[in-house]
Amino acid sequence: VVKRDEAFEAEVLPQLRALFGIAYRLTGNAHDAEDLVQETMLRAYRAFDRYRPGTNARAWLFTILHRLRTDLLRRRGRSPETVELVDDGPPVAPVHEKALTSGHEEITRALEGLPEIFRSAVVLRDIEEFTYAEIAATLGVPVGTVMSRIHRGRALLRTALSGRAE
Amino acid sequence: VICDSLRVTALVDDALDAEDRAEVEGHLAGCEACRAQAADERQIRAGLRALPAPELPFGLEQRVRRQLRGRGRLSGAVRLVLPLAAILVVALWVRGYAPFVAWELSRDHEHCFGMERLPAEVWGSEPEIVTGWFGERGERLPLLPPSVGRLALVGGRFCWLPDASRLAHLYYASDEGQVSVFAVPHAVRMRDEYTTSAGGNAVTLMRLGRTVVGVVGENEEEVNVFVSRLRTNVAGLFIDPPFVQ
Repeated sequence: VVKRDEAFEAEVLPQLRALFGIAYRLTGNAHDAEDLVQETMLRAYRAFDRYRPGTNARAWLFTILHRLRTDLLRRRGRSPETVELVDDGPPVAPVHEKALTSGHEEITRALEGLPEIFRSAVVLRDIEEFTYAEIAATLGVPVGTVMSRIHRGRALLRTALSGRAE
Repeated sequence: VICDSLRVTALVDDALDAEDRAEVEGHLAGCEACRAQAADERQIRAGLRALPAPELPFGLEQRVRRQLRGRGRLSGAVRLVLPLAAILVVALWVRGYAPFVAWELSRDHEHCFGMERLPAEVWGSEPEIVTGWFGERGERLPLLPPSVGRLALVGGRFCWLPDASRLAHLYYASDEGQVSVFAVPHAVRMRDEYTTSAGGNAVTLMRLGRTVVGVVGENEEEVNVFVSRLRTNVAGLFIDPPFVQ
């Protein structure tokens, strides 16, 4: 037990900040993010035997977190997957003259405005610097889906940040 | 050339192989819209990357640790208790296992008679004196014969079993040999009688009333005589402790 606890402490706990970061980006508030992180840590602790030390602990944790989040949304009747069926994404924002807004606040607001299904892919790519393959594994979808989600997510952000949203 | 905005995204993410990459870059050189898309996506990437990480709520790490420690302790306790419970079950099972009891009595017999001086706590050739001494200490013994053949009662003591219960041990001795009589303080899984040889001694366990009495000696014949004597003469008869209810 002690050895396992030590390994967990060494491998998993250092990811707490990153885990909270992604939870916060997904839920949009600190309270839900903390709940999600606690639950993720608990699951991770129980499943720690299945984790291979030295592999990507962060990706492993994100996978657990994503599954929890998906289950939670499904229970609340807000399946994030349904969004994908709607259409093939927003039109790409046309060429525009002025530069995109780049203030933290505006970007944060634009990010929060994204449907979660796009947001998770964009956050994993642009904030966590995951590769498409890593994102695909984390979200449990094909790489092509990852690409299209990022594409559509960024297109929505582009529209929001170019001041043409309204 | 048709714009492929999806591949422009892949280009920004450096997710294209060399061939696709060259193709998309070639397209970008001549397509303002795709160039703008790539530039905007790069800017969005940079903007997102530059976002300050959300502040960790105060005490979150402690709360997570506490929560995990709670689980850890629980599972730790379960991990500790289960083997102990298993050991206890096995120990209880072994305690009542006739061959083990026989072995244990044989060991006690060897131990006491193997000493330079018999470690008796009560000395006496009169059964009343010896059973009286045990009776004062709450031990109910069968009515003992003062002698069987050449074996005569010498005394007795309490020995200790591995589970820390006490075991009345009575000594019978002659010039040639010794026999021990024990009153086993717990149940033994056996029929009316169990005879074996354990640790180089002949051992017989027998039920006298509700008590299991063990007879141990080097000489099987002597033990058999002793057993039949106990059976025929004192079967079922116990002396109640005179001073203890």
